[in-house]
Amino acid sequence: MPLTLERPDGVDAAIAALLSAPDAVPIAGGTDLLLDLEAGRVRSEHLVSLAGLPWARVERTGEGWSIGSTAPLRRVERSEGLAADHPGFVEAVRSVGSAALRHRATLGGNLGRASPASDLLPILLALDADVTLVGPAGPRRAKLDELLRGSRDLALGRGELIEGVALPPRAPSAYAWQRVRPANDISQVGVAIARPPGADRWAVALGGVLPRPCRVPAAEEALTAPTPSEEEVRRAARIASTAARFASDRRATAEYRRRLVDVLLRRALARASGGARP
Amino acid sequence: MSADPGPLEVNGRPVERASIPDDERLLDTLRWRLGLKGTKEGCRSGDCGACTVLLAGETVLSCLALTRDLPALPVTTIEGIEEDPVAIAVREAFTAEAALQCGYCTPGFVVATVGLLKELGPDVGVDRLREELAGNLCRCTGYAAIDRAIRRLARGGP
Ligand SMILES: Cc1cc2nc3c(=O)[nH]c(=O)nc-3n(C[C@H](O)[C@H](O)[C@H](O)COP(=O)(O)OP(=O)(O)OC[C@H]3O[C@@H](n4cnc5c(N)ncnc54)[C@H](O)[C@@H]3O)c2cc1C
Ligand code: FES
Ligand code: FES
Repeated sequence: MPLTLERPDGVDAAIAALLSAPDAVPIAGGTDLLLDLEAGRVRSEHLVSLAGLPWARVERTGEGWSIGSTAPLRRVERSEGLAADHPGFVEAVRSVGSAALRHRATLGGNLGRASPASDLLPILLALDADVTLVGPAGPRRAKLDELLRGSRDLALGRGELIEGVALPPRAPSAYAWQRVRPANDISQVGVAIARPPGADRWAVALGGVLPRPCRVPAAEEALTAPTPSEEEVRRAARIASTAARFASDRRATAEYRRRLVDVLLRRALARASGGARP
Repeated sequence: MSADPGPLEVNGRPVERASIPDDERLLDTLRWRLGLKGTKEGCRSGDCGACTVLLAGETVLSCLALTRDLPALPVTTIEGIEEDPVAIAVREAFTAEAALQCGYCTPGFVVATVGLLKELGPDVGVDRLREELAGNLCRCTGYAAIDRAIRRLARGGP
């Protein structure tokens, strides 16, 4: 592949570089993109490196946490105080690939790929995260749920980049997943739950479902109690396992995935709400 | 080809990047351009850890990094960690336990163990170190001996 790599040293230069060729794509850690290019899933001869952009930071802000899109996931998971405020988010980050992968892989890349099997999208949906973006028309802010159009389909404008993700100050949360192999394999199903202060129910989101990770409002209605009863959890799990479309592929059958939802939801609730572990 | 990103330092030696193609992966630069064959190619897709090297002391998969996209930080391969005390301890533990069969995965395991021990500190527990090493595969399935070597290295309890 005849491929060129542009290394802009600022946001404006990166946007200009993306606009300069019709097939230009950003590259962050490259852990998805290099494989997608090799397999022909993405066609581009113009890569624009995000390595020079000032977005590799993780910080507490007045409104909560701001996670920069180009911060390596390893830096995110080891950020002081983040695991105490967002245990489920850090569990999800730590589930991605391996330590060596996470030293390069980024949150922006995970969002940018928008895989139905992503381990980060469910917890971000459960936390109702905002995504901050910058493009030729300037910055904007959008709900992740609105940006996520479908499988590998994030509603970004031409030349637009993900700058970061904004999380609330803190929220009891958990992310439970199941895979064939614990490292370097994506989850068959992931179940994320979160309850930001003031919320009247647990938010529930699923990964490993088609066409993209999603919230399950009908299941959430059964989970208003801070520590839901056995009957409430069973009802929520039943609703969640029938509400979404599960994939059948080489990692698992749809039937197995449906059954996983029940056990993973229980585990997540037990961890986040202090209930008994099944 | 874009502007010259400056030299990359590999095992203490500056490597000019001006003439390296934009699409070359660090693994290929190391093995084919610099002749550092200790770093292995197992899968070329991030799955096996055989290609693990250190970038500024942190483990990275050299098969998934473009050489010209890396920041100008020191790269250390299995050939470059000889003198390091943590590396010596790791080598001794792997030798004492005969933690290798064909040896193909060994450079990756050794480099990953060195990087993780430095990153997480000497008090990292056995369970944590094992979990963090789960991205490295041994196709000979010689895990029992590797596990014993890891147990020698991880103090500080589970
Ligand atoms: C062995 C292996 C194991 C993996 N395991 C997991 C796993 O367990 N769970 C999981 O969820 N994923 C997993 N992944 C997928 C991948 O590593 C993650 O999705 C990672 O977060 C991608 O980040 P990156 O920086 O490498 O993205 P890149 O490959 O650099 O980019 C991915 C896509 O996003 C776009 N992009 C990148 N940054 C931005 C930005 N700031 N703005 C707009 N678009 C952007 C790129 O153009 C590209 O289309 C795995 C991958 C491998 C190879
Ligand atoms: S060769 Fe890089 S992870 Fe297997
Ligand atoms: S010793 Fe042969 S691959 Fe591990």
